[in-house]
Amino acid sequence: MSRDEVMSKLNEIFQNVFDDEDLVITDSTNANDIEDWDSLEQINLIVSIENEFEMMFEIAEVSDLANVGEMADLIMSKF
Amino acid sequence: MKEYRFEDLEIGMSESFTVEITEKMVNDFLCDIDDTNPLHTDSKFAKEQGYQDRVVYGMLTNALLSKLVGVYLPGKYCLLQGVESEFKKPVYIGDVLTVTGTVEELHPSVKRMSVKAVITNQNNKKVVRSKIEVGFLKYGE
Repeated sequence: MSRDEVMSKLNEIFQNVFDDEDLVITDSTNANDIEDWDSLEQINLIVSIENEFEMMFEIAEVSDLANVGEMADLIMSKF
Repeated sequence: MKEYRFEDLEIGMSESFTVEITEKMVNDFLCDIDDTNPLHTDSKFAKEQGYQDRVVYGMLTNALLSKLVGVYLPGKYCLLQGVESEFKKPVYIGDVLTVTGTVEELHPSVKRMSVKAVITNQNNKKVVRSKIEVGFLKYGE
């Protein structure tokens, strides 16, 4: 899977989790950019990503992610 | 009360309990929530609609899922984060319901568990099917 495809899937996940079909994410998108992005939604995002990409993360891997781009890089590193 | 910690749980583990739905439970729900819809309060109306008697509130039955995760799976350290339920068949006063939860997903990175829950009546008919998302409180020492 290419990084662009990962970003496309991530965009769908974000739209579902935040219930906003107009939401568009970029590498630099972070919790400051999405009003509803709190700790519970962070958990929902990680669970959705793990299920969608059929992979599991370590606590340390997801605790320091600064933005969506770092999340995409982490996913790419698991393929 | 069970005191499972996240680390104690494995996919496929299950817990269950049984409860009889009493008239008092339904009437208390009516008093507390004030849902006066006649399907739940008027036996004659409910029968005219094709039901055998007034129907127990779906959300009363659904509330048993709070007990499932809060008392049994995982119990003490439960932090209920989401419930998606389908009401498959009507529940009536006097029904004896068995509530069963099974660990379906475990996500160690965020300490999140998904529980597949099923509520069956005394005739072994499924009345509620649900997926419950559960986080964990701090365990303390």
